[in-house]
Amino acid sequence: MATNRTGAAQRPNGAPQTKVCQFKLVLLGESAVGKSSLVLRFVKGQFHEYQESTIGAAFLTQAIRFDDTTVKFEIWDTAGQERYHSLAPMYYRGAQSAIVVYDITNQDTFGRAKNWVKELQRQASPSIVIALAGNKSDLAAKRMVEFEEAQAYADENGLLFMETSAKTAMNVNDIFLAIANKLPKSEAGAAGAAGGGRRLADGEQPRPSQCCK
Amino acid sequence: MHSDHEENYKFAACTFFAKSHPGETCGSNGLPLTPSSISILGRAQRLLSIEHPNLCTYLDIIRGKHERIIVVAEVIGKSLADLKKKLSTEEIINVARQVANGLQYLHANNITHRTLSDDNILIDLNGKVKLFNYGIFYMTYGGSEVAFPLGQPRYLSPETILNSGGPTADIWTFGVILLELCIGKLWAKLKPGPILRRILGLVHVNDPAKRIAREHNSIEEYEQLPKYLQTLIEKCLQICPSKRATITEILQDLSNVDTKEMCAVKPPRGLMGCKLQYLYHWWQLAGGDIQVELKRNGLIKNSPPILSIPVAILLDGCTIGGKTGVLYDRRIAKYSIELLQSRLSHVSAHDYYPLMHERKKQNDAVTLPKTIRERDTEYQFYRLLWFQRLLHGYPYTAPYIRAEAEIDIPPLVRGDVWAALLGVVGDIEEQYERIDKETPTPTDRQIDVDIPRCHQYCWLLCGSAGHRTLKRLLKAWLLTNPQYVYWQGLDSLTAPFMYLNFCNEARAFACLSAFVPKFLHKFFLKDNSAVIKEYLAKFWQMAAFHEPRLATHLHDINFVPELFAIPWFLTMFSHVFPLHKIVHLWDAFLVEGPSLPLFMGVGILRQLRDTLLESGFNECILLFSDLPEIDIGECVKEAIDMCRSSPRSISYRRFTNDTVKKDSMDQVEIPMEVLFVEICPRISLSDFFSLICEDKCCVVDIRSNLLYEKSCIDGSVNVPYSGVHLGRHELRALGPQPERALQQAIKMKRNVVIASAEDETAQLFSDYLVKCGVPRVCILHGGIAALQTHIPSLFITPPTGNTGK
Ligand SMILES: Nc1nc2c(ncn2[C@@H]2O[C@H](COP(=O)(O)OP(=O)(O)O)[C@@H](O)[C@H]2O)c(=O)[nH]1
Ligand SMILES: [Mg+2]
Repeated sequence: MATNRTGAAQRPNGAPQTKVCQFKLVLLGESAVGKSSLVLRFVKGQFHEYQESTIGAAFLTQAIRFDDTTVKFEIWDTAGQERYHSLAPMYYRGAQSAIVVYDITNQDTFGRAKNWVKELQRQASPSIVIALAGNKSDLAAKRMVEFEEAQAYADENGLLFMETSAKTAMNVNDIFLAIANKLPKSEAGAAGAAGGGRRLADGEQPRPSQCCK
Repeated sequence: MHSDHEENYKFAACTFFAKSHPGETCGSNGLPLTPSSISILGRAQRLLSIEHPNLCTYLDIIRGKHERIIVVAEVIGKSLADLKKKLSTEEIINVARQVANGLQYLHANNITHRTLSDDNILIDLNGKVKLFNYGIFYMTYGGSEVAFPLGQPRYLSPETILNSGGPTADIWTFGVILLELCIGKLWAKLKPGPILRRILGLVHVNDPAKRIAREHNSIEEYEQLPKYLQTLIEKCLQICPSKRATITEILQDLSNVDTKEMCAVKPPRGLMGCKLQYLYHWWQLAGGDIQVELKRNGLIKNSPPILSIPVAILLDGCTIGGKTGVLYDRRIAKYSIELLQSRLSHVSAHDYYPLMHERKKQNDAVTLPKTIRERDTEYQFYRLLWFQRLLHGYPYTAPYIRAEAEIDIPPLVRGDVWAALLGVVGDIEEQYERIDKETPTPTDRQIDVDIPRCHQYCWLLCGSAGHRTLKRLLKAWLLTNPQYVYWQGLDSLTAPFMYLNFCNEARAFACLSAFVPKFLHKFFLKDNSAVIKEYLAKFWQMAAFHEPRLATHLHDINFVPELFAIPWFLTMFSHVFPLHKIVHLWDAFLVEGPSLPLFMGVGILRQLRDTLLESGFNECILLFSDLPEIDIGECVKEAIDMCRSSPRSISYRRFTNDTVKKDSMDQVEIPMEVLFVEICPRISLSDFFSLICEDKCCVVDIRSNLLYEKSCIDGSVNVPYSGVHLGRHELRALGPQPERALQQAIKMKRNVVIASAEDETAQLFSDYLVKCGVPRVCILHGGIAALQTHIPSLFITPPTGNTGK
C-alpha cells in the first residue's frame, strides 16, 4: 500500500492511470478514546502523548492506494464531548464511512459507541460503511471491554471491527484499508449521492456522481 | 573580575539532579509519568511567592539538561559556617530570634525546613539573618523526587535518621544550631556514619544537650551559659518529638530575653532598593546567565557522556554503575549585580522614583516590536518602576493602567496588570476559599480527560501540581456559575490565567470570573447554539466588511466559519495558539474590549489571504485544521486598526453583557434569521450621523430616481436598484458617477453606507458591492425612512440633473 498525502490523486499529463475515489469519513466516539490520535497516526504516522482535545471538528485528508485504485479519504475528526453532539450531523451527513471509536479500558465509552452506531444507522446514509475501533489495545492490562463482546456486537450490526492502537500503530492503517475495501468503487454514485445532505465541500470537489474517475 | 563588596551579591544559585524514573513506565491513564524535575518545578512555584524578612526570597527555579534543577535565591552576607568568629550571647540570641522567626513562618505555612544547617543560615554585617534554600525538602516532596539524602548528618534529629519527622525535626535542629553557636562545631572530625550512630546513641539519654556537651569536653562552657539559654536548648533537644517546644513557644521564650534591639538599618535607595525580583529580571535582560556562572564555578560539570553510561541495565530499567546520584552539592554560586549597575549607571537617582504627575520619560524603544521591548533592560527598567507605581495605586489608578497597558505590559507584572484591567478587587482569597472545589460531580470525567491534553508543553501546566490547580479552578468556576456548563475549551480558556497566577489561584479564578461575562457572555450555556451562531455570523460580516474579495471567495466555495472558527472564539484563541502568543493577544483584548476578537479572526484570514484565495474548500479547511505559523504581533496590529476604524454599531451583538438600554438611534438589532442572511453589517443612525459629520462616508441611495429627486441625503449618490445588473460584478456597470464616487470612497477608506427604502434591496445590493470587492460596505439600519424621522436635517432636495445617472 502506498500512502501519499496529496499526490496520489494527481495525474501527470491528465491521463488517468489509476481510478481515484474520494470518500468522506467521519470519526465518532466519546472524548479521549483516541479519535484524533488515530487520524494523526494514519495521516502523519505520528503519535502525541498529549494530543490536544478537539473542539468542533478537525479535517484531514489521506490517500491510500491499492491495485488500480486510489482512495482519498476526507476525514472529519469530531469533538467527543456529549455537548458537541448537535454539531455531529453536520459532519456525518453525506459521509460514506464512519469509524466509531471506544477505549478498551473504559466500559462507558463502549456504551457510547453503541449509541453512535444506532444514531448512524438511523440518521446517516443507509449505505454508510461503519467500522468499530476498540482503541488503546496497547493497554491490554487495563482492559475493561472484552474483544469477544465487541466482536459479537459488531457482527450483529454488520460493522467492521478491529482493536487498534494509535500509540503502537497496530491495526490503524488496516482499519482504514478495510473500510476502503468495502466501499463501492465502481460508478458508485452510490457513495456520494447518498444521504442527500448538503455536501460540505460542494465547490471544489467532483460532483457526487463523478466520485470515481 | 568582581569586587568583593558583600552587598553587591544579591542572589545565588545551587543545583542538583532530580531522580530519574527507572525505565519508561506509564501512569494509570496510559500517559508517561511526569518527570521528577517537572514535579519539583511545579511544587517549587509556591516558594517563589514567599516573602519574609528572615527568609531569602526564591527568585527562580530552572530546569537544566538531564533532570537538573537550578535554584536561584536571594543571598545576604555570609553563612554561619563561613563566619569565623565566635558569637557573643547577645549575638546568639539575635540569630536565634531571627531563625525562629523564619521557621515560624514556614511552619505556619505547612513547610518543613528539614535541612536547616550552619551553611544555610546567612547573616550580614548589620546582624540581619535570613534562611537560604529552606524549601528543598518541600519542593522535592520530602526528598522523594531526588536520589540523595537531605540535610547534614549532624543536624538530623534521631527520628529523621529513622526516616520520619515533621516540623518538630526542625526544632531539634534549631537546638543543635544553638548548641553549636555556644560550644563550637559538633563532631567536627567524624564521618557521617559515626555521627549518625552518635545521634542515635542519644536515644536512651535523659539529657541529650548535656551529654553532647560532655562528649565535646565543653560541659563547663555549657553550664556557664545563661540559664534561659540552656533551658531553650534543652527544650529543643528532646528525644521524643512531641516533647519538644513548638516554634511559637521558642519565640515566646526568646522575646522574654532582654537584649538590645538591633539598630534599624535605613532601607537602601536607588537600584539596591528595588524589588529583588526586578533586579534579577533586569540582570538577566542585561545578559546575566545563571548557568554560565554555575559552569564557571564548577557547579555544572560536563563530563564526557561515556562516563555516564551505566555498566548494566536491568530489565525493569534500573541502571547499575555509570553516573551515580552522589550527594547533594552544598556549594552555591553567588552573583554580583555589578553587570546591571554598570548597565544602568547613567540612570539618575530621580528616575527610580517616577512621579504620577510628571510626564514620564519617553523611551525610543517604544517603536520596536513588543517581543524586543520585552528583552530590553532599560526599557523594562522604566516600565517596571512605572507600573509598580501605578499598580500600587490600584484601583484608583485603573484608567492610567489601561492607558499604559495599551502601549505594552511588562511580562513580570502581567498577572497584576491583567487583574487590574479586569477590575479584580476585594477579598478574592476569602471568596475563593469558600468555594467547594472538591466534591465530585458528573463533569469530572470530562475535566479529567481534558486536563492532561491542555497546553502540556508548558511545564507549569503539565505537572501534577498544575493538573490539580486547573481542576480546582474549573470546578470552582462551574460551581459559582450554575447557569453554565463545562464545554470542552473552558480548560484552555482557564490556562492563561493559571499560567500567570500559578501561585495565586484565587486571582486566577477572579480573572477568569471577570473575563467570561465580558468576552464570552452566554457562551457556556448548555444550549449556546444561538450565541455561537450570532458570533460567527458577525465574524463573517466583519470579514466581508474588511476583506470583501476573500469573503466572496470563501462564500463561493461554501467555506463557513462553523467548520473552523468555533474553537477560535469559544476559547478566545487559547485553544489555537501557544501560551507565549496568547498572552500578547489577550493583552490587546483586555485593553480594547470584547469586539477585538472578531477582528482578530479577520486578521488571521487577512494574514493567510493569499493562500486562501488560491485554495479550494479542502485546502482551506486543511489550512485551518493545522494552522500555520501566525505572526501574532502583526495580526493584533491589524485587528486593532480594523476594530478602531469600524463604526461601533457594525459589530453589535445581542448576546453581550451590555446592560445599558440603547437609544433608538443606536439600535441595529435585527431578527437572527435576518442576520444570518445579511452579508454586510448594519450601521446605526447615530454612527451614521457621526460618519457624515466627519466626512467619512459615501452614501449610496438605491431608491428609485423619483423618490431620490424628491428628497435625498445631502452628498449621496443615487443608484436605483432596479437598474443594476446583479450578474456583472464590476463597478463600471453602475455608471460613471457612482463608479467614481465608490472608487474615491475606497481610496479614502470611507465607509460605504447603503440607504434604501426596504431591507431586501439593501441586502442584495450590499452583497453585490462586496462581490465587486468594495470594502467597508454596510447597511443603514432602518433605511431612509428611519433617518427621515430622526435626522430630517440631513435631507435636501437635489438640484435637478444631479441624480447620479
Ligand atoms: N496508550 C494509548 N493512549 C492513547 C491511544 N490513543 C490515544 N491515546 C491517548 O489518549 C488521549 C486522548 O486521545 P485523543 O486522540 O485526544 O482522543 P479524542 O478525544 O478521542 O480525539 C491522549 O492523551 C492520547 O495520547 C492509544 O492507542 N494508546
Ligand atoms: Mg480529538
